[in-house]
Amino acid sequence: MTDSQATPEPVTGPGQPGAAPPGASGPQTVDTANQALHDGVNRCPKCGSTEIQLRVSAGRLVCLFCRYEWSEARIEPVVAGEGALQDLTGTVVASGATDISPEVSGVITLKCPGCGSEVVVNTAEAMSSRCHWCRHILTINEQVPNGAVPDAVLPFGITRDQALEHIRAFAGARRLFAHRKFRRDFAPENVVGVYLPYMVVDGNASADVQGFGEVETRRYTRKNGDQEETYYDADVYQVGRHVDFTVDDLTIESSAERANMNAFVNTNNVINTILPFDTKNAVQWNASYLVGFTSERRDQDVAQVEPVLEDQLLSIARSQVEGSVSRYDRGVRWEAEHLVVHGTRWVSMYLPVWLYSYYYEENGHAMVHYIAVNGRTGETMGSVPVSQGRLILAALVAGTVLEGVALWLLAVMS
Amino acid sequence: MAPGGDVMTTLLIGLLIPLASGGDTPWILLLGPAGAVAVYWGLFQFYRNTGRSHSFERETLIESKPITGTDQKVDEVRGTQRTSIDGDNVHSHRQRVRRW
Repeated sequence: MTDSQATPEPVTGPGQPGAAPPGASGPQTVDTANQALHDGVNRCPKCGSTEIQLRVSAGRLVCLFCRYEWSEARIEPVVAGEGALQDLTGTVVASGATDISPEVSGVITLKCPGCGSEVVVNTAEAMSSRCHWCRHILTINEQVPNGAVPDAVLPFGITRDQALEHIRAFAGARRLFAHRKFRRDFAPENVVGVYLPYMVVDGNASADVQGFGEVETRRYTRKNGDQEETYYDADVYQVGRHVDFTVDDLTIESSAERANMNAFVNTNNVINTILPFDTKNAVQWNASYLVGFTSERRDQDVAQVEPVLEDQLLSIARSQVEGSVSRYDRGVRWEAEHLVVHGTRWVSMYLPVWLYSYYYEENGHAMVHYIAVNGRTGETMGSVPVSQGRLILAALVAGTVLEGVALWLLAVMS
Repeated sequence: MAPGGDVMTTLLIGLLIPLASGGDTPWILLLGPAGAVAVYWGLFQFYRNTGRSHSFERETLIESKPITGTDQKVDEVRGTQRTSIDGDNVHSHRQRVRRW
């Protein structure tokens, strides 16, 4: 840490939290569209078949007809370019993360080039559909402003069988106090592979925090009747810290439903817990990566996710300065904080999650409990409904045993 | 805290307070109720994980320049029984304070 006596000067004034530096223009867009693909029939580069899907064990697309395998290009060089993150200024939005237009329908009608019939794809549920006449698979690859086609996709790397093992192990370790109904209905075979929408954000920011810290100068005891009481003397300091930092691939939910993490009404926090993903390996969009999986559409724009980003950047700043106030052995009370976001870069991405869900209702209070497996790392987190009766019984037994020990100790001491 | 946890914790805290406020009651008698609360809460969290979330502060690639700042002595505290500064939030990174 470098100490300086100058109080950090805020770059922006009150009422402008997180504002970009003066002179910053509107968002700059980077085109991430996969030019090789379009809506409709997309064929195997080798044999021309449309029977293409992800081979999870290899993380590559495979033609089910000729077994040719290939991958789309990584997205990182397309959006990041050559510049360093610390030089990032203004707002850069990849073309798949631009604002959603409410007029654009999520239902897209494609004309099958094989037979001429019309095939409807509801992008809220799927990004491909099979022509019911000629059996061609038609996919959605063009970035229309309805949030359905992101900039990039991170293919599943964990197979369904591996996900099943993770889920069984997670639930198996929680059998004893799990609700009887959950144990009876537990069917991990119902796990589904879902691509969930996220904004992956790079940021260049500065933050200031101000508050008070205390350093203990003396500790002593005084007699109060039969008891000795401890007293402390301390020096109080006014503390200010400034940090310039960059974040790389901060991952934030871009679906309003998933971003709502209220443990009283849902268990979305367990899906959040399995982050992070190896987003550096995300590839350019190709709807064939989603064949056989489900997906959720992005419904949040950059402006709606920005407050969450600022909140997380402030938390990161507070975390970064913590080591510099370790001399305050009685702690620090931060009272004010300030954030200046110099630059951000936004990429919309589908990330792979194996999801086991269980609908559970107790006393009229319904909740969907998830067990989620990170489709790349296998990290597993979940929520298992508990049997309150057994849990309270266990707590009372433990409490009774401990109370017995306490009474025995009292008897021995007296 | 999740809904199920509320009822039990309130009940047990209700037990703790009268025990603690009784001047002649040895503090060691709190071991039982405190242990019951701890066991309940620990098991509940193991199953429901209501307090878990992505640790983006540690699990994101972050690069920061050397931290600068000021430290100015402004006061002294004498003879306090508090073991830490009032409102200590140095470890509570997600607790927001006034923005300026």
